[in-house]
Amino acid sequence: MNKDLITIKNLLIIRGKKEVLRVKKLSVQRGEVLAVVGPNGAGKSTLLLTLARLLEPNAGQMLFNGTPAQNTSDTVYRRKIALVMQDPLLFDLSVYKNVALGLEFRGASKSEIQEKVPLWLKRLGVADLAERRAKRLSGGEAQRVSLARALVLEPELLLLDESFSALDPPTRATLLDDLKPLLKNSKTTTLFVTHDLHEARKLATRMAVIVKNSLRQIGYADEIFNAPVDEDVAHFLGKD
Amino acid sequence: MSFPYEILQITILSLQISAIATGISLLIGLPLGTLLALGKFWGRSFFLSVVNTGMGLPPVVVGLFVAMMLWRSGPFGDMNLIYTPTAIIIAQTVISAPVVIGLTAAALQSLDPRLRLQLYGLGASRWQMIWALWREARLPLLAALMAGFGSVISEVGASMMVGGNIRNQTRVLTTAIVLETSKGNFEIAMALGALLLTITFLVNWALTWVQQRGED
Amino acid sequence: MKKTLITLLLLSLAISACASAAPSNPNIILATTTSTQDSGLLDFLVPIFEEQSGYTVQTIAVGTGAALKMAEEGNADVLLVHAPPAEQELMDAGFGLDRFLVMHNDFVLVGPADDPAAIGSLPSAGEALTSISSAQAEFVSRGDDSGTHKKERAIWSSVDLTPAWDGYIESGQGMGATLIIASEKQAYTMTDRATYLANQDNLDLEILLEGDEVLLNVYHVMTVEPDNWENINYEGALDFANFIISDETQALIKEFGVDKYGQPLFFPDADKTDADLGVE
Repeated sequence: MNKDLITIKNLLIIRGKKEVLRVKKLSVQRGEVLAVVGPNGAGKSTLLLTLARLLEPNAGQMLFNGTPAQNTSDTVYRRKIALVMQDPLLFDLSVYKNVALGLEFRGASKSEIQEKVPLWLKRLGVADLAERRAKRLSGGEAQRVSLARALVLEPELLLLDESFSALDPPTRATLLDDLKPLLKNSKTTTLFVTHDLHEARKLATRMAVIVKNSLRQIGYADEIFNAPVDEDVAHFLGKD
Repeated sequence: MSFPYEILQITILSLQISAIATGISLLIGLPLGTLLALGKFWGRSFFLSVVNTGMGLPPVVVGLFVAMMLWRSGPFGDMNLIYTPTAIIIAQTVISAPVVIGLTAAALQSLDPRLRLQLYGLGASRWQMIWALWREARLPLLAALMAGFGSVISEVGASMMVGGNIRNQTRVLTTAIVLETSKGNFEIAMALGALLLTITFLVNWALTWVQQRGED
Repeated sequence: MKKTLITLLLLSLAISACASAAPSNPNIILATTTSTQDSGLLDFLVPIFEEQSGYTVQTIAVGTGAALKMAEEGNADVLLVHAPPAEQELMDAGFGLDRFLVMHNDFVLVGPADDPAAIGSLPSAGEALTSISSAQAEFVSRGDDSGTHKKERAIWSSVDLTPAWDGYIESGQGMGATLIIASEKQAYTMTDRATYLANQDNLDLEILLEGDEVLLNVYHVMTVEPDNWENINYEGALDFANFIISDETQALIKEFGVDKYGQPLFFPDADKTDADLGVE
């Protein structure tokens, strides 16, 4: 079995006439948590949306499990992944129904839903909120529900897009502490976009640095901190 | 006017006609409003403007237009629809469909556009995405339905023109009110008006109850 | 700009006030039937009256039933209507003060050219309706208690018939709309000649029976009894009534419509009595 879940080669994305992202090569290894870091507007979220097939690349190749991603339909592909955005984007339903949503889309049986939803609500510490209306949650609670909604799908690839940046620091710290063992124990391959290096180091083993619309460097955090590949990366890491 | 049989018959006919017209408007308006709100195609904003203009169509103008289509001299004269309940349903559908289309589009456009990405990101197919958005917008969508019904149950100009206000055939509450007023039977006209208001209120009450169920 | 407008407005008000001896109450509400309005006769006569007298006439064209009701409830000052028996009842009940014969036009029976009930050759309206009834032919009735509807019902009862077959329908609308319905359904109907002539171009109907004395449509002008209600403009009402039966106006009525239809729409009768026209 291939070590890499995702391999991207020569990816190019253009919006209007502007090149918004260029990636020569990027691999995401099975079971790892990879942080995609870089300043705001560098193209991090573009990469994430491309991986969720919510954005069509202008050029390049994307392999999922060793096979070209284009070989499967958007919906079939997206049912292997799960996406959590910066805002929880919960629906005006109960917490339970929100978490059951993705399973329903996949045609899961009622018994499967009844088994998995409470389990993941519990794992994220929001079991007691199951019957509450989603719009009556605090920011931290809502983001926990949003994570449960993604993790309950047991996705092959979890995509997190600045998912903690809207939370206040103490709430964020506790959530990161809770999430880390969950991702590790479930061996969920995770791609995690953030502009916060501290957050990246806490959750991820490897990092990919995107600066000025291109992927510059990928490797273990220490490697990158010790040897930034160019001045832009060094500048972003605060090592001028 | 004979009581209470004739009034009952007129009331039932009014409700039937307006309910069917609203139902057809919903069948037309929900998909078209969704297309206008979510679709990306050339002329979308133009069509939205057309629909928004259509939301304020004067019923008599619609009545005249539909009558000209259905008169024996008109293109659909052979179908013998003029002065039938079907003719009123057609005219009322023309009146209420833009209301339902426009308010459906507005309801869906008022949702956070990122919800669509989020739904796809959770594995929704296109239809599952649309279904989830309808559910999310259920309150304004029910309001669209109520507005559509309200625009036809209270409408008189088109019903008069294409229905003909024919006794026992196409006389509805609003045209009966006009007739009783012209006869000088103001008490009966007022009573019919009160009946119309009561019915409109009850229908809206029922729909509001459905709409607000589970709200606190 | 705004100033000029106001000045102009004040000036025009001043002029109109000077134009005639200003009536103490310049507003008259005239309740009349749709037939006088639809034929265009009032649009022709009312401006002349307003010009001569300085009154402003608010013409409310409704069914005769509603017009009579307006008199009864003090919502009109003067009436121009064509339902003599109902008018007489109103007079008897004390709701009207003066009543003068003004004019008549006539009703005609119209229907499809092929005349399925063969009424064209019959001598009287009563026999024509009897024939329509026995042929169960389509007939559109106004069904709105209007003068026309009252006349139609009177003819039915004169031949002891109660119209109630599937083809007998009630439109509950004005004469113009009822004619269109009759034309669309290729049905018979009874109409005043004026409305028929005015709509002739849009109708696929022919005059099949005319001239029967019973079909005369007699108009009276009637002032509302001012003692019943506080704000009745009796002075204006009487001025209007006198205007409508004056020799000059009667001459105008005689000429009205001739240029357009080749025949008069109304026949002046102010110099006649009800008995001359066979009105009880």
